[in-house]
Amino acid sequence: MVNYLYDSSFEGLLTSIYEAYYRRETPNHIFPYNYIQQSLIDSNIHIATNLEKASKVYESIHRKISYQALKNVYHAYLSELNDIEIIILNYLKLGFKKGKEIDLHLSEDNVLAIHTAAKKVTREAHLMLGLLRFKQLENNIYYAQYKPDHNITTLISSHFVNRFSDQYWVIHDLKRHYAAVFDKNSCVFTDISEQKILSSLNNNDNYEKLWKNYFTNICITERINPKQQKNYMPKRYWNFLTEKQL
Amino acid sequence: MELQKKLEILSAAAKYDVSCSSSGSNRKNTKGGLGNSSACGICHSWADDGRCISLLKILLTNYCIYDCAYCVNRLSNDVPRATFTPYEVAGLTINFYRRNYIEGLFLSSSIIKDPNYTMEQLYESVRILREEYNFNGYIHLKAIPGADLSLIEASGKLVDRMSLNIELPSSKGLQLLAPQKTRKNILKPMSFVNSKIVETKDNRRFFKSSSRFVPAGQSTQLIVGATPDHDLKILRLSEGLYKGYGLKRVYYSAYVPVSNNPNLPTISRPPLLREHRLYQADWLLRFYGFSSSELLDEEHPDFDTDFDPKCSWALRNINLFPVDINKSDYEMLLRIPGVGVRSARKIITARRVKQLDFDDLKKLGIVLKRARFFITCKGKYYSSIGLDEMQIREVLADKSRKSHDNWEQLSIFTNMVELPTLEDKLMSLVGEI
Ligand code: SF4
Repeated sequence: MVNYLYDSSFEGLLTSIYEAYYRRETPNHIFPYNYIQQSLIDSNIHIATNLEKASKVYESIHRKISYQALKNVYHAYLSELNDIEIIILNYLKLGFKKGKEIDLHLSEDNVLAIHTAAKKVTREAHLMLGLLRFKQLENNIYYAQYKPDHNITTLISSHFVNRFSDQYWVIHDLKRHYAAVFDKNSCVFTDISEQKILSSLNNNDNYEKLWKNYFTNICITERINPKQQKNYMPKRYWNFLTEKQL
Repeated sequence: MELQKKLEILSAAAKYDVSCSSSGSNRKNTKGGLGNSSACGICHSWADDGRCISLLKILLTNYCIYDCAYCVNRLSNDVPRATFTPYEVAGLTINFYRRNYIEGLFLSSSIIKDPNYTMEQLYESVRILREEYNFNGYIHLKAIPGADLSLIEASGKLVDRMSLNIELPSSKGLQLLAPQKTRKNILKPMSFVNSKIVETKDNRRFFKSSSRFVPAGQSTQLIVGATPDHDLKILRLSEGLYKGYGLKRVYYSAYVPVSNNPNLPTISRPPLLREHRLYQADWLLRFYGFSSSELLDEEHPDFDTDFDPKCSWALRNINLFPVDINKSDYEMLLRIPGVGVRSARKIITARRVKQLDFDDLKKLGIVLKRARFFITCKGKYYSSIGLDEMQIREVLADKSRKSHDNWEQLSIFTNMVELPTLEDKLMSLVGEI
C-alpha cells in the first residue's frame, strides 16, 4: 500500500494528484506531512509541492471538467475532513471521464461526499460573515478571533476587504495560528502567535456594552427559545461572541 | 438621558416589527467608504428568543401624537418614552457596523410633533450616515404617511428599502381603529415611491451612473384579525400591492385580543394559524405562479385550517394529478403539495442524467410525506391509497390534526418566513402585559 504525504497546501494536493496520474498508481491515502497515524506496513512517498505540476492539474480541471468542479475541490480541501484528499482524487477521476456533467451524478458516493464537504465549508463561511466579532484595539486596529471547524480564513477575507476597506483589521484563526491582515490596501495571510495581540485588547469598549444591552432588549423574554437559537448559532461559536460574554 | 437608557427603550419598542430582512440590495462600497450590502442577506446573531438579528432595529422616538387602538406607543398608553438625536442613531450604527454586529440600520419612528418634523429627523439620520460617514451598508427606513413627498423622495435616494404600513385590510377598519389615518394617505406615498423606483430603473438602463432609488424595494405590514375582513380580501389586497405598487414584501401580523377597546373584536386567541396560512399563500403568489383567484373565491373566502393553501388547491383540482416526476415542467412540479422551489430545481437537475424513481427522490432529500399522493415516477404510483380526493383528504387531515400544536414545524415555509411570535403581537398590539 502506498501513501502520499504532502505539505497540506492546496498546491501540494494538486501536485499529489498529478503524481498519481503520472505514476499510474492509486495511493491508499494522501496525508498532510504532520499527520500522525502512519502505519509501518505502508510505504510513504513524500510529494514535493511543484507549482508547475499543480497549475497543470488546476488548468485541466478547469478546462476538461468545469470551473464549478474546481471550486468544489477547493472548498472540499478546506474542509480538512478525514481522507478528503482521496475523495477529491476519486471525484476528479470520475470528472475527467464524465466532463462537466459530473456534478449531476448526485447518486455517486464520491460526488455526494464532495458536495457535502464543500457545503459544510461554504455554510460555515457564510455563518462566520455574520458571527465574526471585531474588537477595537487601542491602536485603532479591529481584531477578530475565532476557531472555525474548517480552514475558511482565506475564503471569508475578501468579504471584509470590500466591507471594511477603510479599516485596519486582523482575522485570527486561533486553531490554526493563521491570520488575515488588512492594511487598507491589501490583505496578506500569515502565521501568527496569539500572545502579541492579546496584550493590547481593550476591555472597556462602551459600544460592546451598548451591543449587549441591545441584544438583551431586542429579545422577547416571554418567548425564550434556546433550542432554536442554538440550532442557528451552535454553541461552540459563542466563546467569541461579544453578546454572549458576561 | 443616557445613551444606554435610550437604546433600551427604543430597541424594546421596535422589537415587534416583523420585517428584519437585509437582502435584495447589492450596494457596493465606495473608495475610502465603509460597508456594502450583500444581496443574499447575512444574519449576525440570534436573540435568546431564536429570532435572527441582522439590522440595528430601533425607533427614532416612541413619543406619538396618534392614538391607534392596536399599538403600544399610542398617545394614551403609559410607557417610558425617549428620543434619539440623528447623530446618536448614526453613531450607533457606524460603531456596531465596524465591529461586525450588524448589516445596517432599520429605522422606524412614532409620530412626534407632526409627520413632516418626524420625516425630517429620519432623513437627517440617514443623510449623516451616507454623506458624512460614507456609510454604504444596508438601510431600511419607514416613511411617514402625511409627510411631504419631497422629503420622502430625498430619503429614498439614500436608503435601500422603504416601507409604509398599510395597517389594516380595509379603510373601514382604519376609520374605526386608527381614525387619524386614512387609506388614501398611506397609498399616496406608496404609489409615489413605486413610481420613483420604476422611473429610476428606466433611467439606469440608459445612464449607468444615474442615482439609485430604494434599490431593495418597498414593503408593508398589516394586522390580521382585528377587523372582520376575510382572507380573500387580504390576499387580493396583497396581490394588488404586489402588482399595482410593485411591493417586495407584505408582512402579516396576527391581532392579539387583549384590549378593552369596544371597537376591537373579542376573541380568545390570536389567529396565528390564519396568519401562517396567509404567509404560505403570499409565498405561492410570489414564487409559485399562483393567483389569488385560484386559491380562494367567494364560496371559499377563508383558508382551510387542516391543509396548507397549495394542498387545498391540489385537492380541489385532483383531476390535474398525478404528476409525472420525470416529464412535467418546472411550473407543474412546483404545484405538487410538499415540493418547494429547491426540490423542484433538484428534480430538474437530477433527471437530466437519469430517470428518477422513488428512492432517487429520497436520496435527493425530497420530503414525500404529502407529495407521494400526487406523483408518479416511471409510471408508478407509490401511495397505498388511490388517487381519490376524499381518501387523501382523510389521511392528510388526520396527520395535520395530530400535529396541530406544531403546525409551524410542519410547514415547508417556516425557514423562509420570519414568523412573528405570539408575544410579538401581544406586546405590540395591546401594550406591555
Ligand atoms: S401605530 Fe404608529 S402612529 Fe399609531 S400610535 Fe403607534 S406609533 Fe403612533
